[in-house]
Amino acid sequence: MHQEPWRMPMRAGSWRRLWPAVVLAPVVMLVVILAAMPAAGGVRDARADGWPNRPVTLIVPSGAGGGTDQTGRLLAERLRARLGQPVVVVNRGQGGGVVGIGAIRDARPDGYTLGILYNFAHYTPLGQAAVEAEDFTAIAQYNADPAAVVVHRDSPWTDVGAALDAVKADPGGVTIACAGGCGGSWPVAIASLLRAWDVDPAAVRMIPSQGAAASLQDLAAGGVDMVPCSLPEARALMEAGVVRGLAVFGAERLPAFAAVPLLAEETGLTLDLGAWRGLVGPAGLPEAVTARLERAMADVVADPGFRAEMADRGFGVVWRDGAAFAAFLRQQQTTVRALLRDLGLTRADP
Amino acid sequence: MDLSVLGAAAALVLTPAVLATMLAFAVAGLVVGAIPGLTATLGVALLVPATLTLDPVPALAGLMTLAATAIFAGDLPGALLRIPGTPASAAYVDAAHALSRQGQAGRALGLGLLCAALGGVAGALALLTLAPVLARLALCLSTVEVFWLALLGLSAAALVARAHPLKGAVSLLVGLALGCVGLDPVSGHPRLTGGLEALSGGVGVIPVMIGLFALPEVARGIGTRAAPRGLPGMAPGWGAAVARDLWRQRGRIAVGCGLGTVVGAVPGAGADIAAYLARAVTDHGGGGAARDPGDAEAAVIAPAGAANNAAIGGALVPATVVGIPGDSLTAVVIGAMTLHGLTPGPTVFLVQPERITAVVLAFLLANLMLVPVGLLAIRSARVVMRVPRAVLAPIILVVCLVGAYAVGGTPEAVVVMLAAGLLGIALEAAGLPLAPLVLGLVLGPTVEETLLVSLLKAGGDPAILVSRPGAVALATLTLGLWGAGLGMTARRHRRS
Repeated sequence: MHQEPWRMPMRAGSWRRLWPAVVLAPVVMLVVILAAMPAAGGVRDARADGWPNRPVTLIVPSGAGGGTDQTGRLLAERLRARLGQPVVVVNRGQGGGVVGIGAIRDARPDGYTLGILYNFAHYTPLGQAAVEAEDFTAIAQYNADPAAVVVHRDSPWTDVGAALDAVKADPGGVTIACAGGCGGSWPVAIASLLRAWDVDPAAVRMIPSQGAAASLQDLAAGGVDMVPCSLPEARALMEAGVVRGLAVFGAERLPAFAAVPLLAEETGLTLDLGAWRGLVGPAGLPEAVTARLERAMADVVADPGFRAEMADRGFGVVWRDGAAFAAFLRQQQTTVRALLRDLGLTRADP
Repeated sequence: MDLSVLGAAAALVLTPAVLATMLAFAVAGLVVGAIPGLTATLGVALLVPATLTLDPVPALAGLMTLAATAIFAGDLPGALLRIPGTPASAAYVDAAHALSRQGQAGRALGLGLLCAALGGVAGALALLTLAPVLARLALCLSTVEVFWLALLGLSAAALVARAHPLKGAVSLLVGLALGCVGLDPVSGHPRLTGGLEALSGGVGVIPVMIGLFALPEVARGIGTRAAPRGLPGMAPGWGAAVARDLWRQRGRIAVGCGLGTVVGAVPGAGADIAAYLARAVTDHGGGGAARDPGDAEAAVIAPAGAANNAAIGGALVPATVVGIPGDSLTAVVIGAMTLHGLTPGPTVFLVQPERITAVVLAFLLANLMLVPVGLLAIRSARVVMRVPRAVLAPIILVVCLVGAYAVGGTPEAVVVMLAAGLLGIALEAAGLPLAPLVLGLVLGPTVEETLLVSLLKAGGDPAILVSRPGAVALATLTLGLWGAGLGMTARRHRRS
């Protein structure tokens, strides 16, 4: 009796007989999976009345552990209590947030997929993704952290004016970290400051990194001259005396960092720039859902427990309702894109 | 270290409540780690909210235990199903699985367990005694030094394929090519993504790893009758074999512990570089050392397994002392510490010395607790071995599909996993080793980013790469390693 080929012991030659099965099996499975996905989505109830009658997904476009993740989980916990349904946090941090923000934009606008949006305006001009302010339904902003200028302990600059003058005198001789990709919240803040000081930001060496922690490490090691980031991010190294905060953006000093002067006090320039985070859904969210979420968010942000937990972790609480947040998103998009063009970072004018 | 602080810290840790919490988290860690696609990082992140109701010391002790056990538990599917749990364990998954196929799964897992525990203890002791010194060292490292260190790790990949350095290099190049997919680490432009936003984060190390190693195994399971009863089971007396291995490999284990701690403390370099470097450095070549069958595999598992876990303690050094996370796991741990009122930084050792010392002690204890808990896990893992291979193969396939989706969260991750599986089958058929590919994929972006960023700082002048004393030392080491490798190859050619 001839032995069936699939009963043969594995030898080098048996690959020749096996490869069709080996190739076909995953392909068939894939087709089944892909075919099942829209079907599963189709049975979902997309009506707004009775919302929410099943768990809500909250997309966090960052890895577990970062600031967006931490604040997102705080929100999810409190929204669950107010919506009566679990709010499931899903981390999508790949590609510096591009994947997660794209997932929010492409979600079904039924109120069951929401997300945290942060400084997004640079993705489109840098050619990383097609994201517009109009792609989202703004629900509420709950957080903003002002940028600060941080330098090494041994830096010759004792105040931010001196630092800016030094950059002005020799723009090409100074390296400024981006504390992330060069286009995100922090480099946009420092570039705006440089422009206000009559320095061409494009002439300065802007150094990208994997995030504020990596840039601060490089600052401590003497790899860069200046890091723009939030003060809580630099707290440990400031306490260790390795780095110094020269100035913080915004309208008032931060209670936990009372010794760091305001940019306005030092230079007379009032720039309110930094990182911000808010709750959004995909464009076209039903009116009733948006209104319900906005009320829940107002309640959360007013909650002393939420404010205390945010403060404990070094996050600032800022409130903008849906309309104000939507206007803010549009205004961010315009100013950031203009700035990126000046920086010479824009890939091509659309 | 003040002894009275140590005593007070021990009193905080050695209470029934803390020990019970640690035990519960150890079991949770085993479950999380043993499921491919669920990483230690994810496990800690998921359980942080559950610790909110606990006191800081039991909460953080529990999370440390979870991290330590989850990393070891990643070796279980590695040895039994050939699905590595972490990029670092890809350095020795082949050796562990080879031992399992010889009926020595108990030896492979037992040795892995004890080396993990020893490495973890070494890392914890370093954290307890040398933290300020190591943290100062870590703060001296700029992108230039990290570039050389990552390059050193990459060179190790070609060296570990000692029998066929050329095949190792080919596999490494495939890995480097895959590592190019995604947003360019410097300018952020999408590269080789085919216009898919889901690929802008790269192909994803875990899905690639799962597919690469496990799917060829599934294919073999479909096509074979050679082992109808699954893996040959655990040969009796594996305890003695593990004890003998521990003694014979003591030098390699020591090197793994030391290297793992130091490399782990470097922000940007982690357990993966440590494991591959430890394997390469302790590989003295030749079959002369192998006195018994399986010794060659043990010589790979011991140093890499120890370095893997020592790196966690190392990574916690800059995290606790200066608040800089060495990898994603320590980033989550920093978040948890902050949440429980222990903001990492130099002052935490001054303001709350008992508490932070208690957390470090708990980490030390967790690595000791790993041994009994891990032995239980190994015993229960025998169930897997009784499953006939024809039944196991489709189960592995399902585990791979779910694991890839769990970690990537996108259908594209599943496609990447399946494509990596086909690649793995092709590479194995061509006799190419898989481990260098994983290292290329992990370290390629690091090498590229640190090199380009360093050049960017200097306005394009390559002299910056040897402008700092640390960089010169690491460069000498790397080039020396290359020279030694070339010399050895040349000698072998002359002999043959």
